[in-house]
Amino acid sequence: MNFLTLFARNLRTGPQTEAFPLGPAFTPEKLRGRIVFNAENCEGCRICERVCPAGAIKFAKSPDGMTFDCWHNTCVFCGNCEFYCPTDAIHQTNDWNLAHVQADKFAMVEHGLIPNMKCSDCGATALNTAPMVKNVKPPLSEAELGEVRSRCPKCRAKYLKNRKVPS
Amino acid sequence: MSHDHTPTVAPTYSIPVGPLHVALEEPMYFKIDVEGETVKHVGINAGHAHRGIEYLTTKRTIYQNVVLTERICSLCSNSHPQTFAMAAEKIAGIEVPERGIYLRVVADELKRIASHIFNVALLVHLTGYETYFMHMMQVREICQDTLESVFGNRQDIGAMCIGGVRYDVDEKSIAYILAQLARIEPEVRDFIKTFKSNGTILRRTKDVGVLTHANAITCGVVGPVARGSGIDYDVRREATYAAYDRLPLMVHTQTDGDVWSRAMVRLEETITSIDLVRVCLRDLPGGDAHIHDRPDIPPGQAIARTEAPRGEVFYYLRTNESAQPERVKWRVPTYMNWDALRFMLQDAKVADIAIIVNSIDPCLSCTER
Repeated sequence: MNFLTLFARNLRTGPQTEAFPLGPAFTPEKLRGRIVFNAENCEGCRICERVCPAGAIKFAKSPDGMTFDCWHNTCVFCGNCEFYCPTDAIHQTNDWNLAHVQADKFAMVEHGLIPNMKCSDCGATALNTAPMVKNVKPPLSEAELGEVRSRCPKCRAKYLKNRKVPS
Repeated sequence: MSHDHTPTVAPTYSIPVGPLHVALEEPMYFKIDVEGETVKHVGINAGHAHRGIEYLTTKRTIYQNVVLTERICSLCSNSHPQTFAMAAEKIAGIEVPERGIYLRVVADELKRIASHIFNVALLVHLTGYETYFMHMMQVREICQDTLESVFGNRQDIGAMCIGGVRYDVDEKSIAYILAQLARIEPEVRDFIKTFKSNGTILRRTKDVGVLTHANAITCGVVGPVARGSGIDYDVRREATYAAYDRLPLMVHTQTDGDVWSRAMVRLEETITSIDLVRVCLRDLPGGDAHIHDRPDIPPGQAIARTEAPRGEVFYYLRTNESAQPERVKWRVPTYMNWDALRFMLQDAKVADIAIIVNSIDPCLSCTER
């Protein structure tokens, strides 16, 4: 294509640049952006912390339970955490608006808390994590899930053992 | 007062080229001895940027390293993790599901399209044909948008994982990729036509920076640089991996070994890549795209090699009882290719240095990791 043809074509089709910031920028649905953590779904297996290549994810014990922190200024947005999470507790949204003023740099954190609870069976204090029941057969009903969830790890194991159908 | 009659300009002198802004904005330094306007001797000075990534890989687990190796280089950001994963899979004896190996080809070829168009566009920029440069970059933008929409990022596409690929395609994304390829293909065919006919491009690239077949073998060049000098070698065919043994792979060669030949090899490969993606998406088997557990990699050592856009990428991986590898070493195509610059730049004009350097598609971030 020679220069004049290109020139004519560009005159006809107009500028190719996006109007951003005056207009919206092209943002595909699958864009790997800001991390969102859903404590309700978290099993507390901490695999996301282990596969995170940047060390952006930190779990810590606190008096209220276990805290989750993902530091967006350390995160490389690779998506390993979401890929390896067994229960879809961690997600990457397509929100890429992460520019911020220097004063807010310690606020660029996705924070979550897996709270403590009292075991409905033995009364011990335990984390209210989602139960690891992906491979349990037959699958648990909604009510059974609630019952497992209300127990501490030891009582959960006991519950699932008693539920097993003798083969 | 005495009169000194020695000339103020010596017939031969040396000029520094680099360490920044030769063709790409990368740290590459040449000490060039010139005679008038003709290059007589080239001294290549490497090692301006050392990021210590080989060391860093031994401080991270195998699963973290898939992401770290992706960040070695932005343009071959798929080839590095793929080769690394292939080496780890070899040690652990992991079988990648059929769907996974086809999707690996899709990711690899889409990156190749973007990389080749980028390099040829830069060549056009260096010849001074800015309008066409902008046009080529705009076509590449179609490919970048595809990468962003399918994988979630323009450069670090994050497609690879140990035991397969992290992404999957559904009917909608297959239709989207095919539609985008249909937009790119006629444009790339037009690039080829332009490269064969446009006077500006032909005059600046034909018979410039010639690397003869014999010299190409002496330097052990790889990738489009080798194929531009008539060496019929492509890792995808010679040491086949992923699904390439089942695909209609065409290896393009040129005989002249000049800048134009290398650009033409890249453009023709772009067309082949488009065809490969189409065939992969057509023949895509069902099932899983990756394995579902996260096996430990046992102690052992393995090598793996793939054809990156710039040529052969070679990985050596040694693991021990720990989760971190004991040693990771890679050899990247630019390492062999830039040695050939000594032959290409011999007796070239000073004004052609940037064009010739760009024609090997140098990637310093891989080479001086």
